[in-house]
Amino acid sequence: MDYIYSVVILVGLSIILASSFNLSIGYGGLISIAHPVFYAIGAYASALLSRDAGVPVVVSIFVGALVALVASVMVALPSLRVSGDYLMIASIGFQLGVLELIKNVNWTGGAGGLTNIPAFIAPTFGREAYVLLVLIAAALTILIIYGIAHGPIGRAMSAMRDDELAFMALGRNATSLKVGIFALGSGIAGFAGALYAHYFRYLTPEQFDILQSSALLTMVVVGGIRTAWGPVIGAVVLQVLPQAIAFLDLPTSFLGPLQGLLFTGLVLIFMFVRPQGLVSAGAVWRPLRRSGAA
Amino acid sequence: MLDPAIIGQILWSSFANSSYFVLFALAFALVLKVNGVFNFAQGGVMTAAFYAAYTIVGTAKGPGWLGFIGGLAAAVVLGIAIEVTGFRNLRLRRASPLFVFIFTLVLTELIAYIAMLIFGTWPTTIFPSLYWPVTLVGGIAISEWDVPAVLSAATACIALFLFLRFTRSGQCMIAVADNSELAELYGIERNAIYVHTMAVAGLMVGLGMFLFGARAQVQPSTSIELMLFAVVASIAGGIGNLWGAALTAVVLGIIQNGSVLVLPSEWQGLLLYIFLFVAIIFFPSGIKLPTRKLKVSRRATELDGESQET
Repeated sequence: MDYIYSVVILVGLSIILASSFNLSIGYGGLISIAHPVFYAIGAYASALLSRDAGVPVVVSIFVGALVALVASVMVALPSLRVSGDYLMIASIGFQLGVLELIKNVNWTGGAGGLTNIPAFIAPTFGREAYVLLVLIAAALTILIIYGIAHGPIGRAMSAMRDDELAFMALGRNATSLKVGIFALGSGIAGFAGALYAHYFRYLTPEQFDILQSSALLTMVVVGGIRTAWGPVIGAVVLQVLPQAIAFLDLPTSFLGPLQGLLFTGLVLIFMFVRPQGLVSAGAVWRPLRRSGAA
Repeated sequence: MLDPAIIGQILWSSFANSSYFVLFALAFALVLKVNGVFNFAQGGVMTAAFYAAYTIVGTAKGPGWLGFIGGLAAAVVLGIAIEVTGFRNLRLRRASPLFVFIFTLVLTELIAYIAMLIFGTWPTTIFPSLYWPVTLVGGIAISEWDVPAVLSAATACIALFLFLRFTRSGQCMIAVADNSELAELYGIERNAIYVHTMAVAGLMVGLGMFLFGARAQVQPSTSIELMLFAVVASIAGGIGNLWGAALTAVVLGIIQNGSVLVLPSEWQGLLLYIFLFVAIIFFPSGIKLPTRKLKVSRRATELDGESQET
């Protein structure tokens, strides 16, 4: 049963991550793949605050999210000088640099990982309570992002994504909108990281590397970029399907690569068979009436 | 004070090690210039080239030259297959850069997982031993790997230069890189040129990976880090500037390896990522040398003068 709970928690966290990633990469059009590093920053900040500074876990989770948010603002301000492919590659440099830093600093546990992270809720109320907490957080994330994407900010994001020059000519501030979207998505990722840290209670830099970026990106694109439900479906499908072979009696050294092979194989199939994603994005902003009828 | 012999040794070793970095950077920069793709699938090609050579030499106990040819062949065949089955399809569908990026990265991962399933996750080498006999030259130890590595990388650079300059296929590559639609109007078959480019890049990668695998241990995930080095060099050297990428790879290799003089060795990896971040944010068009600017401005002045005279 513990295994099932772990899978459900991972699915819930992936939904939070993929949805928040969709906010910046999909709706915001900011092609950065460093999302997992903010997940890592939230996880490490919350774990270290609660473990070494004695901060109550419930507080450290929110501080972890805040640290991720602040870090994202600090990286966004210089990075948004460039866009497109350049921003994507700059984000790789930032992500791998931070992970290299975590690997080489003693107080983060280094490459060996951070252990003895205080548990949250599960010892008192059981693992079911933690599953519920993560699922509620996932549902709230979907609602928040749906609300943003379909409200005035969503309209502004859509306008900025389609024609940034025209957007600025109308007197709107593109930089502050970009930084705001990026910071919000990263803060949510940091929150998910903190939830991860206090359930699994062990962190290593490898958990947040470029393969994790690729997995998240895949969930968003295969699920359906710029849709509220696409990343959710992508997260569920791509987290659950590779787990199907976990019940086969295979050696661990064989199982990991086989799951990876299944994951990447599925992604490639989806990319060519259904490039628009499992949920294809319609026009987010549809006119209430057809222009001809008006 | 550091012994000059130690400094000389580090500089020489860094220079020799940069031989494979130059080849990886050239391959990445060439595909970026001609095909217009940030080809992260180069990591997969590198993995395939190494394990092909390893299978022939390390497992089947075949001769080194056969392993070398096997590595080259695997890299070329896989490179062509990626172009024909992947990039061509994506181009036809007008896939976004993000989509192409995911495709290339996932393909590299897929090949790494296949290698893990077949060869395991333990580091391996092409030859049974990584030890190469050394000769002392002026207090600097030069191994039997160093000189052939430097010479083969230099030969590959010269061969690429001559190929691009004097062969029809090479000239077509430059034409497609400059303006692919115009090149097509002049009868150049764009798709064929993209295939040629992937094949040439495959040769570079195959040679580089053979040199690397003869010197260091490789595991299926090694190629991603090696590839990032090529990305940094290509961008810092100036996108579209092959020789800038090659020169940057040498400089970066020397800086990264030479950093042991002032930094603990575990921080070498971080330097690469700092370069990557700084290169893109502050030098997205590459690092321009001041002399080049002067030349350009002088030429512009000359042209201006000529036009006024006429």
